[in-house]
Amino acid sequence: MQLYSPMSTTPKRKASRAAPLKSLDGLRIGVLENGKLNAEEMLNEVAQIFVERHNCTIHKLASKKNASAPAPALTLTQLAQEVDFLITGLGD
Amino acid sequence: MAALKPKIHDVPDDLLAAIDWCYEQGWTDGLPVVPPVVERVDAMLKADARPPETVIAHHPATGLDLSLHAAAVNAVMAGCQSSYFPVVVAAFEAMDRPDFNFHGSTASTGGSAPLLIVSGAYADEIGMNADVNLFGPGNRANGTIGRAVRLILRNVFQMLPGISDKSTQGNPGKYSFCIAERARGNPWPLLCEAQGYPAGTSSVTCFAGGGFFNVENHGGNTPEEVLTSVADSMANLGCITLGQAVVVLAPEHMKVIATAGWSREKVQDYLFVAAKRSVDGMKSAGKYRDREYDSQHGEQRHALTVDGFMHRGLQPSDILVTMGGGDAGGHSCFIPSWSRGRGSIFQHRAITPPPVNKQ
Repeated sequence: MQLYSPMSTTPKRKASRAAPLKSLDGLRIGVLENGKLNAEEMLNEVAQIFVERHNCTIHKLASKKNASAPAPALTLTQLAQEVDFLITGLGD
Repeated sequence: MAALKPKIHDVPDDLLAAIDWCYEQGWTDGLPVVPPVVERVDAMLKADARPPETVIAHHPATGLDLSLHAAAVNAVMAGCQSSYFPVVVAAFEAMDRPDFNFHGSTASTGGSAPLLIVSGAYADEIGMNADVNLFGPGNRANGTIGRAVRLILRNVFQMLPGISDKSTQGNPGKYSFCIAERARGNPWPLLCEAQGYPAGTSSVTCFAGGGFFNVENHGGNTPEEVLTSVADSMANLGCITLGQAVVVLAPEHMKVIATAGWSREKVQDYLFVAAKRSVDGMKSAGKYRDREYDSQHGEQRHALTVDGFMHRGLQPSDILVTMGGGDAGGHSCFIPSWSRGRGSIFQHRAITPPPVNKQ
């Protein structure tokens, strides 16, 4: 008996990790919050740790209009131009 | 990038062993599936005139596409007849729209299940149930169309419980959540008519639903009495949000409402006004958010919005109301949106019946 696979036939996406940062000292931080309760507060607390320990600057705060949808590609590409690393996470 | 050719597995000619083999592949929802033999899948595909490689939906987070072929494989596994396939296809084409938010509604802790409401003559043509035990078991079309949706989410889009599907508790509709709108005795235009489709065209409405609330009322003899109990369920502190809602009125309740001459729009207005909690009440449960209040009471506020209260939804049209279920019993139901805001908006699409002759 021959069975078809029920999986997607989409070719596997090529994905690669960004090169690790050599140092965090003095870098620009971006914060992407998901719009849920306490998300901004929690992420800024995390960013503040990098400010205190590595003299980073919080350069950009971006928000998602829809907490449960992926961040728009334009948001990510713009952030990538303006910051050295991004902090994001779920607030709820 | 071109799609890969559908993979075929050779397994021994033993049906029970093939069912077990499908379990071993992780292809099931926990229940046995019909092994997707090539001939059955090819027969299913004849229910759509387009080439099998046609992409009908895309998952934004995983990047995975749903082709007609993959949909047909999962429809076979769910137990669908080929006449059901157009409903499955239309549902995914509807859910593919960005406002439905495929990713959030399939991954969230909220435990969403896509509710499908089939409206129009096609529901009868394929033998769907709009009557007794509407949301319960016993009807092949209702049960397997809804199940096909779940299997596609699992197998094609890889929304796997505990890995990518993070539902805290899930809900039973995640096995199957598909009904037909009851036309018999329905005093209102059917949904497919209200949605503006041409006469004779059926539709499927998709809604990222949370759990199911039974609304019992055997004593109400006026629309206000019946709908107050519906609105109270809609506004309970466990689920009141800015999200949309589906209300399926039992025929007994609809009779009370229709006898008084109430239209769907009048019912929606009444429910919007009545399904509300005071700001203090919301605060007492730790559920008040300035931002949510402002979005409901700002410049775009609906005329029926009452100051000092949080309503369910942003406007009356956020409450989809229809009729379904058996003749006996004062049991309607309310299904809240999975989304606590505008994270998922219901979508509908016309159902295209199978072509007469597809070679």
